Amino acid sequence: MNKIKETVVISGKGGTGKTSFTASLVPFMDNAVFADCDVDAPNLSILLEGETVEEEEFSGLQRAVHNSSLCSGCGQCLASCRFGAIKGDFSVHAPSCEGCAVCVHVCPENAMTLEDAVVGKVYESETIYGPLVHASLIPGEETSGRLVSRVRGAARELAEATGRTGILIDGPPGIGCAVISSVTGADSVCIVTEPTLSGLYDLKRVYSMVLRFNPAVFIIINKADLSEDVCRDIEDFAAENGVPVLMKIPFNKKIVQSLSNREIPSVAEADFFENLGWKKALETI
Amino acid sequence: MKAAILSGKGGTGKTTVSTHLAALFPDALYVDMDVEEPNGDLFLNPEWNDRIPVSVIYPEIDNDKCTHCRNCAAFCRFNALIAGKALTISMKEICHGCGGCALVCPSDAIRYRERIIGYVSRGITRFGSPIISGKMDVGEFSGVPLIDRIRTMDRTEALQIIDSPPGTSCTTVAAVEGCDLAVIVTEPTPFALSDMKRTVEMLRTMKLPFAVVINKAGMGDRGVYDYCRDESIDILGEIPFSLELAGAYATGVMLDSVSPQLQKEYRKIMDGMKRKAGMPGVAV
Repeated sequence: MNKIKETVVISGKGGTGKTSFTASLVPFMDNAVFADCDVDAPNLSILLEGETVEEEEFSGLQRAVHNSSLCSGCGQCLASCRFGAIKGDFSVHAPSCEGCAVCVHVCPENAMTLEDAVVGKVYESETIYGPLVHASLIPGEETSGRLVSRVRGAARELAEATGRTGILIDGPPGIGCAVISSVTGADSVCIVTEPTLSGLYDLKRVYSMVLRFNPAVFIIINKADLSEDVCRDIEDFAAENGVPVLMKIPFNKKIVQSLSNREIPSVAEADFFENLGWKKALETI
Repeated sequence: MKAAILSGKGGTGKTTVSTHLAALFPDALYVDMDVEEPNGDLFLNPEWNDRIPVSVIYPEIDNDKCTHCRNCAAFCRFNALIAGKALTISMKEICHGCGGCALVCPSDAIRYRERIIGYVSRGITRFGSPIISGKMDVGEFSGVPLIDRIRTMDRTEALQIIDSPPGTSCTTVAAVEGCDLAVIVTEPTPFALSDMKRTVEMLRTMKLPFAVVINKAGMGDRGVYDYCRDESIDILGEIPFSLELAGAYATGVMLDSVSPQLQKEYRKIMDGMKRKAGMPGVAV
């Protein structure tokens, strides 16, 4: 069986254009599965507008549940919980509970039990470009890292079952658990950045995180004309680290307009992309 | 008043709005809780007075005492312990620090040690205002312990501006908890609207009063405005989109070059925030 190649698009800083870039790649990827791993701000499906064909609930963790009729009020749960998840009346403050089971262990009356907590949903949609796996974390929930792993797992299963050779992933911002879960074991990582101090600073942080996993790395400079100086700093950083700058995309109001029209930028503004060396960039990826 | 500035979608302008408010109202404490990617100091150029390490615990196993009963590994819900026939090891990055393994160890072979996952710094910005900023070390999974540390710090300032993480997951909830008010910074695009709806859902669940600031106004579409009208959400102010502003932001230039009209808009936003929190407004 052919090895399935996984490409992840991340950014460090939010709002640099991860989703616009990912969506722009989509129509040009033959035989691929697409996945949106930005589970607490999922937007890829807005541009790919598919039909949901499957839906599953995701319970990434268990949480403690207090049974007041068994409770003797001894307070051992409260004293043992390191997450501050037990309230004064020994009921559980769900958002703080990590499901460690310490309270279950110390309770002499079996008044604490662990129960599955649904924290999100995973969807499989059919789009004209191929299948899309996406998810939504219930707002305010945790374990986004685990939900990301589930989305990637579902995309891989789907690729294997349908004989597809590539997976393209729209990743989350930041450098924490959700991003680490998105890039672990991926073949290549595209970092979409912008020439702003925040963009550069966050690029450096996310790059040093990504290095630990040793994928092929590419940098895309979006809104490249915002600052010539910072753009040069990004190019210097890329050169020093031997990372190819795949594309420099200048700011263009038409791109914003195409997003407002829910159109894929590389399709709506095909000439613009063509002039930026889009074909060559696609081949490199 | 503790006001959380948040967004759902990244890059809509949380830090721009937070830092401008901090600069215009130097009584305010600016708190950077976007600990994965803290950027406020790039604009506020503080002088740091204090740098406090933030640690979490992890188990260390004394394999001379360990009888390899595997109780610890069986108990750990996070798979942070691997128990072999002759050796038990802990994986400190995965450990959540619940303390369960030592509770179930029959031979007293587990001790907890601390490791640093980031720093909280305190200082004074170039505008003379106080700043606290948390920064998670690269490679760590969760910034929540840093946010929790900041929340327990002595903060007496009457006005506090909390620059929060993007998204709606646990770090955002941790940053917003305990605030009197939330301000959602959004932009008029379908992505920002979709993410903002999730933020609204989160804030309604948390029963926190909130209002909206629209950044990059003038580009995109009307979706965000229609949504705010339908949901009766106050729009406190609008920052117009301009390439000039974007260019100034890019190089870290801020208030010094901001037009009087824009300064007025920020004052209007602060006035709206204070009134929303049930306090007297400010002169616009």
